Amino acid sequence: MPSASLLQNPRILLTSQTPFHRNLRHHIHTPNALPLQAPLSVTTSPPKSSILEIQKSILSQTQKASDIASEYLARIRQMEPRIQSFLHVAEEEKVMREAEKVDMKVERGEEIGPLAGVLVGVKDNICTKDMPSTAGSKILEGYRPAFDATAVRKMKKLGAIIVGKTNLDEFGMGSTTEGSGFHGTANPWDLSRVPGGSSGGSAAAVSARQCVVSLGSDTGGSVRQPASFCGVVGIKPTYGRVSRFGLMAYASSLDVIGCMGSSVIDAAILLNAISGHDKLDSTSSKHEIVDYASDIISKDFTNSSNPLKGLRVGMIKETLGEGVDAAVTSSIQASALHLEALGCVVTEVSLPSFSLGLPAYYVLASSESSSNLSRYDSVRYGNQIAADEITALYGDSRANGFGSEVKMRILMGTYALSAGYYDAYYKRAQRVRTLIKKSFKDALDSNDILISPAAPSAAYRIGEKTNDALAMYAGDISTVNVNLAGLPALVVPCGFVEGGTSGLPVGLQMIGAAFDEAKLLKVGHVFEQTLQNCKFVPPLLSESYGSDSTQ
Amino acid sequence: MNLATVFVRIPTRLIHGCPPVFRPLRIGSTRLHSTSPVQPPDVARLAETARITLSLGEVEEFAPKIRQVIDWFGQLQDVNLENIEPAIRADMENEPSHMREDSPKTFENREAILAAIPSYKEPYIEVPKVLNID
Repeated sequence: MPSASLLQNPRILLTSQTPFHRNLRHHIHTPNALPLQAPLSVTTSPPKSSILEIQKSILSQTQKASDIASEYLARIRQMEPRIQSFLHVAEEEKVMREAEKVDMKVERGEEIGPLAGVLVGVKDNICTKDMPSTAGSKILEGYRPAFDATAVRKMKKLGAIIVGKTNLDEFGMGSTTEGSGFHGTANPWDLSRVPGGSSGGSAAAVSARQCVVSLGSDTGGSVRQPASFCGVVGIKPTYGRVSRFGLMAYASSLDVIGCMGSSVIDAAILLNAISGHDKLDSTSSKHEIVDYASDIISKDFTNSSNPLKGLRVGMIKETLGEGVDAAVTSSIQASALHLEALGCVVTEVSLPSFSLGLPAYYVLASSESSSNLSRYDSVRYGNQIAADEITALYGDSRANGFGSEVKMRILMGTYALSAGYYDAYYKRAQRVRTLIKKSFKDALDSNDILISPAAPSAAYRIGEKTNDALAMYAGDISTVNVNLAGLPALVVPCGFVEGGTSGLPVGLQMIGAAFDEAKLLKVGHVFEQTLQNCKFVPPLLSESYGSDSTQ
Repeated sequence: MNLATVFVRIPTRLIHGCPPVFRPLRIGSTRLHSTSPVQPPDVARLAETARITLSLGEVEEFAPKIRQVIDWFGQLQDVNLENIEPAIRADMENEPSHMREDSPKTFENREAILAAIPSYKEPYIEVPKVLNID
């Protein structure tokens, strides 16, 4: 079977380029994986871009923006008791008014922005001026920023309607959203499981169609892993592609703002909206801006037999095998075969020093967070515990406001940066970062993209990992190195494994060279549009979500 | 190589069955062994540095967990990193200068900033007394 050779031979897997539609079913059926049957209805048409559908309906006046907004608000009301994706939902009247404004503009023949009428969820560590922004922490409960994050300002300028602030692990520290200071979020595919983290609320909200697209943040995988767990598309841009102004900093050298949507085109349109240099963020890049969506929107790839002909794909050996669920491995192998059927040349690559990335990441992230979180002293903002003396004011307010995981990471970071230990930990981790950057660069010199699973398993059960920090950290193995190297990565749902009522989604991660988001999005789009027998709509939506309504 | 020795008291609960002792803490040492190269984390001391008031219960709860993670960090010591430059962050080599003009701008939403201050006694932000203990 072709799949066996994948892990052993680093050479080309299929020597003949056969048209994908004839051979795909044969290649995908491996004994270890669940057959990739649609969990719901018989129809398995590929996902359409919700943003484009909404724009089309509004502009042609076949649907009103206010009716679309009503639909989403109704789904929020219906699902929130069970899923709890949001920490704050905008007032319905406000949302409806904004939607009505769009309708009035259309009626008057005025131009509307590319995100007009599109309801967006924003992760609560991203500042929004007219809504609370808590970073999922009690220390900022009730805090209202005086400004919008640049990414939020840009979206609003293009007509987006911010429908709410989504739940997260406190300050981005965590991989399940159980670390939120307020409540957890359930995975729409199985309410007894986590949505992933730290952008769990953003992923769950898109998955449950409570909003069209959402913003998350990714420091060590926090957009990509929840996208995988919830069966949605997630993109982590190149470090510096999107301004971090207004993103409450966790680890400044690793943080990025990322996008989630139910289709690759939606993620691409959102990325367009928020990318670009910002003088308020000195780490934002002046690299030229590309229109990420237009290239893939205008072409129809489904008719050509080899749409990705010649694309060199490297499958990262260290992300498969030991420690990775067999069913996830099968899913990724099947995805590799799918890519081959589309014309790609897939080989196995090995990245030296790969396993060092995880401890290096946690040293760097906890060190930087210990510094970044020192600003939460309750003096200028935040919840203050009265005290007689200033160090007690700081100490008690922070002790009261921060959760355990945040406290522990601050303490670990404080240790790693202490005099005498800085060389042993922080500086060594930075050297490991150099090694990892180099190994990715070498691999991407001989490959267009690299692929791996987004996570070694599907969504965990609630409570499964909370008592074992190292087990929790181990889940980040496929994602942290990408942040260390500052590269872009896209996660696209690629299959299912057993679990829940009808399977749990698995995501394929595609990693590109710096600022090569356009290539990733193109490959991701073609992959998504040609993936057979998979519909990534969670079962609990089937009551209110017909198979032919906007996905 | 300069070694300074500082005496640090480690709370008894962290050393099972031992009476309170003063243990020398070496700082400035760069010779490291593979599993436990530096002194184990003194959680109570770290909490003081980080300005987080931990209860004794929390110190007890966190210490083994933190130690476990820091031991795990120890694998970074086993790698040969000679001649490898540290990377502060991802490449910014091809970027033009990111310096902006040094010209102040007035932020337009001063009221919102002031509204967030817990103890504002115009025009001061009020804090309790500052004692020079350290």
